[in-house]
Amino acid sequence: MTITELIKKVFTDEKKRSEMKARAIILVTVISFAFFAVILRLVDIMLLNHERFAAKATLQQIGREVVPVKRGIIFDRTGRKLAINIHTKSIYSNPSEVSSPEDTAVALSRILQQKPDTTITMLNADSRFSWVYRQLGIEYAQMIKDLNIAGIGFIPEMMRYYPGGSLASHIIGFVGIDNQGLEGIELRYDRYLATGKEKWLYMDRDARGNILSGGYRKGEIQGNNLVLTISEGLQHIVETNLDAAVSEWEAASATAIMMNPHTGEILAMANRPTFDLNNPSGTETGHKRNRAITDIYEQGSTFKIVVAAAAIEEGIMDQHTEIDCSAGYIKVGGRKMRDAHRHLHRVLTLKEVMQKSSNVGTIKVALELGEERLYEYTRRFGFGSKTGIDLVGEVSGWVRPPEYWSRLSIGSVAIGYEVAATPMQVLRAYAVVANGGYLVRPHVVSEILSPCGKVIYEANVEKQRIISEKTVTSLREMLEAVTEEGGTAISASIDGNQVAGKTGTAQMVDPATGRHSSEKLVSSFVGFAPAYNPAVAVIVVIHEPQGAEVYGGIVAAPVFREIVNASLTYLGVPMDNFRE
Amino acid sequence: MLKIDEKLIKNFDWLTLAIVIILSVVGIMTIYSATRPPIDILVHSEFYLKQVLWLAIGIIALFIVVLFDYRLLQRYSYLIFGLGLVLLVSVSLAGDERMGAQRWLSIGPISFQPSELLRVFFIIGVSSYLIHISQYLKEKISIKSVLIFAILPAIFVILPVALLIKQPDLGTAILLASLFVILLVFKGIISKKAIAFTLIVGFISIPFLGHILWEGLRDHQRNRLIVFLNPAIDPTGIGWQVNQSKIAIGSGGFSGKGFLEGTQGPLRFLPERHTDFIFPVFAEEWGFIGSIVLLSLFLVLFLRGLDTAVKARDNFGRLVAFGITAMFFIYFCVNIGMTVGLMPVVGIPLPFISYGGTALLSNFIAAGILINIRARRFEFFYPPQNRT
Repeated sequence: MTITELIKKVFTDEKKRSEMKARAIILVTVISFAFFAVILRLVDIMLLNHERFAAKATLQQIGREVVPVKRGIIFDRTGRKLAINIHTKSIYSNPSEVSSPEDTAVALSRILQQKPDTTITMLNADSRFSWVYRQLGIEYAQMIKDLNIAGIGFIPEMMRYYPGGSLASHIIGFVGIDNQGLEGIELRYDRYLATGKEKWLYMDRDARGNILSGGYRKGEIQGNNLVLTISEGLQHIVETNLDAAVSEWEAASATAIMMNPHTGEILAMANRPTFDLNNPSGTETGHKRNRAITDIYEQGSTFKIVVAAAAIEEGIMDQHTEIDCSAGYIKVGGRKMRDAHRHLHRVLTLKEVMQKSSNVGTIKVALELGEERLYEYTRRFGFGSKTGIDLVGEVSGWVRPPEYWSRLSIGSVAIGYEVAATPMQVLRAYAVVANGGYLVRPHVVSEILSPCGKVIYEANVEKQRIISEKTVTSLREMLEAVTEEGGTAISASIDGNQVAGKTGTAQMVDPATGRHSSEKLVSSFVGFAPAYNPAVAVIVVIHEPQGAEVYGGIVAAPVFREIVNASLTYLGVPMDNFRE
Repeated sequence: MLKIDEKLIKNFDWLTLAIVIILSVVGIMTIYSATRPPIDILVHSEFYLKQVLWLAIGIIALFIVVLFDYRLLQRYSYLIFGLGLVLLVSVSLAGDERMGAQRWLSIGPISFQPSELLRVFFIIGVSSYLIHISQYLKEKISIKSVLIFAILPAIFVILPVALLIKQPDLGTAILLASLFVILLVFKGIISKKAIAFTLIVGFISIPFLGHILWEGLRDHQRNRLIVFLNPAIDPTGIGWQVNQSKIAIGSGGFSGKGFLEGTQGPLRFLPERHTDFIFPVFAEEWGFIGSIVLLSLFLVLFLRGLDTAVKARDNFGRLVAFGITAMFFIYFCVNIGMTVGLMPVVGIPLPFISYGGTALLSNFIAAGILINIRARRFEFFYPPQNRT
């Protein structure tokens, strides 16, 4: 029946209902108008704007979700796991669907073992999504799941776990709650560990954000694995001995690094104070600093190797050249610089100057060299520039060019002041002597392996000759003599293998006065063993040891000895009876 | 006692019956589609089965209603209306609260919404009342007499409306109030002058009344008005419903995605997908063509109802037929208007289509009354059983 027919009928109705007819016409008009409006609107929505709305529909049905990337595992050089992943469930809530926040909070808090007040703020959040608890153990998550609370959901997440706790903490670094690298290797190699590609997955979802199964969900994405140059065993040896030294000498802080001098592979690196990788937020920031590469110090006598190397390389002297130190002091820029020990007040050979660490002798050699050449060799040994180690936060230290030097400077620089360096830089300088004259780039990652085991990256040895083989031979003999009878560090010598190295004892600048303090000292020893075929180069730096005699030969050298002794045994390096 | 008259069969309004059954079947199909789970392994909710059951009850009720002469309703109109009020009062005393509204009354395993039944009872009661008072108003119709007679109807209307607002069921409350006014106008009790006067006063007082009304609204009701005026506001928050509704309708396009192929309902993007927002689910699957067919069915239903009102043999039948048609029409307009964004979001279902047992039963009773009035349009003043 059409409208016109009806109107016709209404009009032709014979009964006296004229008023009725008029009303019916009005009503039919009203109805027609309403239908007209609705149909116009439908034309607009369904025909003219169909594409737009259809696109909107499709778009909102597609969930773009961050797929939890399973971070790569970090291995040590022997294949032991230093960082792994644990399957956890994270709990979230849709506060608008939680019927009773109070009861829910109490029920959840009992399992989460936290205060209900903490939980309830998450449940009352003014949003459709709010985290309640991140990375909860599977068994606890199941307990909550069994409670069957409305508005509570679960998302599987990976939690990073470090089996070693604080072991190698400063190298490995740690991740944030979203598994993003925050420090150390975890940060430096973040894009490899959490592989950069395909972090997003597109999948069908409903309005509540539930992912609809049916083959849309792919497997988890696996990051690349890292193999470090670190050896867990050596790291353990280094850390144990460093701990012992710090507690024996009540030191403020300490650093030890062990490196393969030929390749630059870092075998162990430790700092004190340290922190637990599984609870990084529970420690003050300073403890997380990798002092081996971020902190600089004036090294003192260990720097003398640069002076000796320059003198021999430049052909000014050889190790038997005699230097008159009988005065016991030398005037530089109008200021007397002395040797503390009376037995040094005689004529010494260059070798003896090194062995006994004579300040006067070293300064005399430096004066022979001149400022320019002293500066040049300082830079040549890598001071004042970053070593290029693949860790975050490395500093370059500082070395001033001679035009900024005072008249005193040449004397200061020669004995290791006015040059600030990191322990890493000092160790690398000694590795030059150990490896036959090359400056190497230290590194901690040896390989990056794809999830299926393919080698994506392999560290290669980067080295650069800076002094001749001949010079190295002389320097090595000098450093050997240090740990022998008459040297400053007999305590560094070990049974069966020859050790080469150098002590250092330097005054620290007291921040309160801005002057070198006679109480705050840095005691260090750096060297390598076995001397003629070095397996390891090690530096031990101990800040502010407490005691009457805190020379490098007394404080740091024994730590060096213990570390090297245990390490050579661990590595199975045969004893040589070279000098017997 | 009851003899099924041949005339009754001859004049039976098969068209109306066919339309309401077709609409109900379409409704059940759409409910089935809307509530199907997004993943096969999940359980399909039982809404569509319940609706089938209620449809059966509704058809039985329709035939029972058709059997009696509708003038019986006039005789017992105040009783019927009273029963409706009693049910409504008992809801406010002993009703179940679901989704923040106290609308349900449970008797044993069955729970129903008295407000849905009250709609029909209200039309019967008011129609009877208007005929009653119009006899006193035959001589002159003035604003003065309207004012005098406005006191009684005010009570007539205010009591149920107040109870409904308390539930809260704003949709039905507004419906009853507007039905009352429409019936007054239709009956001619309010003159054209009075209408004009009311409109003028109404427009002038909008700024003042509007403010009072605005203060009285709940937050979600205010939001609905804001969204109605500007749907682009916060499409994921308060504008969510309208926005999703348009997306569903719009993505249907010309021919639709096909039955059980719609996504917006099952994926729960559409709110109230099997009740108030069922039209978008239908439109998504059946497209523009299907929607036009559906709208045409409703249009025929309304015109047929209007025709029944025009042809009714007495004033009561005319008023009731008109009232019922107006009720269907208002529900239809508000519901469709809301889903296409022509009206603010008011929780009103689409008659015969939306899920809701009591509503379906009530609509079938109303349709039965329409058929009853039409079937008996040629009968003489005295019903057959009285003549014998």
